[in-house]
Amino acid sequence: MSWLSPHIATQIVDFSSAMLLLTCFAIVAQRRLSACVDLFALQSLFLAMTAALVAFFTGTRHIYIAAALTVVVKVIVIPRVLKGVIERLNVTRELVMRINIPASLLICGALVMIAFFITQPIIPFGHLLTRDSLAIALAIVLIGFFTMISRQKAVTQLIAFLVMENGLFLGATAATYGMPLIVELGVFFDVLVAALIAGIYTNRLQDAFDSVDTTHLTELKE
Amino acid sequence: MTGFTIMIAVGLLLLAPLTAGWLSLFIKSSRWLHVTNLISIGTLVGAEAVIGRAVFLQGSVTAFADIVYIDALSSVILFIIGTVGLACSLYMRSYMDEQVARGMIAPNRLSLFFFLFHMFLLAMVLATVANSLGVQWVAIEATTLATTFLIAFWRRRESLEAGWKYLILCSVGISLALFGVVLMYYSSLRVLGDVSSALNITQLQQVAARLDPHILKLAFVFLFVGYGTKVGLVPMHSWLPDAYTEAPAPVAAMLAGVLETVAVYAILRCRGIADQALSPDFTGGLLALFGLISFALAAFFILLQHNYKRLFAYSSIEHMGLAMVGFGVGGPLGTFGGLFHLVNHAFAKSLAFFAAGNIHRRFKTVEIDQVRGLTTVLPWSALALLISGLALTALPPFALFTSEMQIITALGSSGLPGEWTQPGTRTPVVILLLCSVVAFAGFLYRITGMVWGPAPEDIVHGEQWSIGHIPIILLGAMLVGFCMTLPASFRQFVEMASTLLLSR
Repeated sequence: MSWLSPHIATQIVDFSSAMLLLTCFAIVAQRRLSACVDLFALQSLFLAMTAALVAFFTGTRHIYIAAALTVVVKVIVIPRVLKGVIERLNVTRELVMRINIPASLLICGALVMIAFFITQPIIPFGHLLTRDSLAIALAIVLIGFFTMISRQKAVTQLIAFLVMENGLFLGATAATYGMPLIVELGVFFDVLVAALIAGIYTNRLQDAFDSVDTTHLTELKE
Repeated sequence: MTGFTIMIAVGLLLLAPLTAGWLSLFIKSSRWLHVTNLISIGTLVGAEAVIGRAVFLQGSVTAFADIVYIDALSSVILFIIGTVGLACSLYMRSYMDEQVARGMIAPNRLSLFFFLFHMFLLAMVLATVANSLGVQWVAIEATTLATTFLIAFWRRRESLEAGWKYLILCSVGISLALFGVVLMYYSSLRVLGDVSSALNITQLQQVAARLDPHILKLAFVFLFVGYGTKVGLVPMHSWLPDAYTEAPAPVAAMLAGVLETVAVYAILRCRGIADQALSPDFTGGLLALFGLISFALAAFFILLQHNYKRLFAYSSIEHMGLAMVGFGVGGPLGTFGGLFHLVNHAFAKSLAFFAAGNIHRRFKTVEIDQVRGLTTVLPWSALALLISGLALTALPPFALFTSEMQIITALGSSGLPGEWTQPGTRTPVVILLLCSVVAFAGFLYRITGMVWGPAPEDIVHGEQWSIGHIPIILLGAMLVGFCMTLPASFRQFVEMASTLLLSR
C-alpha cells in the first residue's frame, strides 16, 4: 500500500495484536464462565483482524483464508459449543481458584516481560512489518499456559488452551506471514476437533463425577 | 524399482488405515471388523516392505510432489509401527471379543473402537512419512485426539480422569511444539524467501547450515519440550502412568510401543536440522540430560509400584530416557544403540501389555499383591510376563541387553555432551548402572511374586489356545533372536538410519 508508510502499517498491526494481549488479561481477571467465553470470542475477532491487516498490507492472499476460518471456527462455532456446555452443566462461575485474581494478574505481567526478554535476541533478525508481534504471541502462549494450571473448571482450562492456540496463530502470522496453507488448515482442523472432544468430555465428566471441577479428579494416585 | 510402484506403495500406506477406519463404522459384525482390520494392517506391512526395499537400494524416497519423504530413519519407525500394529491386531481378535462377550462393551461400540484405532494408525504413519514439519505436527496432535477416547474406552471414572489428563497435558505440550515449528519456519524463511515449501524437511536439510543459530536454539527447546511431553520424559510425564493403566491392553501396547517412538522420531528429525547450525553439544546435551533424569527417576518409581500396569508405564519412561541418552551422546555406537533400543523396547513393551491384558481379564485386578501363581492359572501369559519383564530389565538373552550395553558403552567412552560435564567423567555411567540395578531389583521382585506361588482357589485355571497367542510367541522369539543374531540386512538398515543422524 503505497499511500501508507510502512511505519504506520507496523503501528496498526502492533496495536491490534496488543488488543489480543489485553483480552488475555481480561480473561484472567474474569470469574464468570460465560464472560470468559465472550472474551475469547472477542480475542479471536481481534486475531482475525490482525491476520486480515497483515494480509492487506503484505498482499499475501492466503492469510485471508486463515482469517475467515478464524471467524467461523473461533468466533462462532467454538463459543457456541462452549456456551451450550456451560448451560447444560449449569456452571456459571469459577468459584475456587488456586491463585487469586490480583496475584494472577501480577504473574501474567511478569510472563509478558519474560516473553519480551526471550524474544529480544531474535526479533531484530526479522524484516517483516509484524516482527514485534512475536513477543506478544509468546506472551499470550505463556499466559494461556499459566491460566490452564491455575484454574480448576474443565471449561476454563479449555478456554485457556484455546487462548494458547490463538497466541500460536498470532505467532505464525506475525513471524512469518502465516504458515503454508495446508499446515494452517490442518491446525484449524485439529483445534476444532480438540475443542469438540473436550466439550463432549466435560459432559462425560459431569455424568461421572457430578462436577466439572478437576480437583475431583483424584482417583488416580501413586 | 520404479517410481510408480513406490507411489502406489506410499498411497496404500495411507489409504489402508483410512478406508478401513471409515468402513469399520458401517460394519456390524465383530468378525468382519477383525477381517477388515487384518486386511488393512496386512496391506500396511506389505507396502512398508516395498518401500523399505526401495529405501535400502536408493537411500531415500520422495513421492506425491515432495509431500512424502521416506528415508532409512522413517523406514525403521514404519517397521515398528507395522510389526506392533500387526501384533496388536492379532491380539485384539481374542481380547476384544471376550470383552464384548462379557458385556464390557456394547457390540456397536466395537465399530467405534476400530475406527479410532485406524485413525490412530493413520496419524502415526502420516507423522512418519510427512515431508513437512508442519504436517508432522498436525499428525502428532491428531494422535492425541484419536487416542483420548481409546484411553477412556471403558468409561469408568478413572478412565475418564486419565483421558482428560492426557488430552490436556498432551495438547498443551504439543502447542509448545507448534511454537517451535513456527520459529523454525521463521528462520528458514529468512534464508529461503517466501516459499510454501520452507517447512519441508528436504528443503530445510539443504539450507540448515545457514539458518540462524539463535532462533534455532529457541525453536529446538520448544520442540523438545513439546514432543518430549508425548514421549513421556520427566518432568512432563505425569499423564503417562494413568493413561497406560486405564487404556485397554492393545491400546496401551500401541501407546507404549509405537506412539512414543513416533514422538522420538519427531524430535530426531528436528535435531537433524538444528545440529547443522548449532553445535551438536547443545541438542545432544539437552537430550542426554533429560534422558538421564527420566531414567533415574523412573527406576525409583518402579521400585514403589503396586500396580503391574503402572510398573510397565514407568518402565516405558525409563527406556525412553535410556534411548534419549543414546541419541544425546551420539557417535555411531550411541545412535545405533538408541535406534536399536527403540525397536527392542517396542517389542518388549507390547509383549508386556499383552501379558498384562490377559492377567487383568482373568484376575480382574491390577494389584500386584493379588496376582499369584500365574504358572498354573495362565501358563502362556506367565511365560510372556517373565520374558517381557526380564527383557525390560535388560538381562542377557534378550535384545534389550545388547542395545543397553551399546548405549552404556557409548556413554562411558565419550561422557555426557555439553557443558555439564567434562569428557571422561564417570559419574553419568555410574548413575545409569546404579539405577538400572534398582529397576532390575524392583522388576524381579514384583514379577517373580506374580508368576510363582500358590494360585487363588476361586479362579479358573488353565489357558485356552487362541489367536492372541501367536503375537506373544513371535515377539518373544524376536526378543531372544535379536540378541543372538541380528539379521545382516536389518543391521545394515539400522546402520543406514544412524548414519543419517550423524551426518552434519
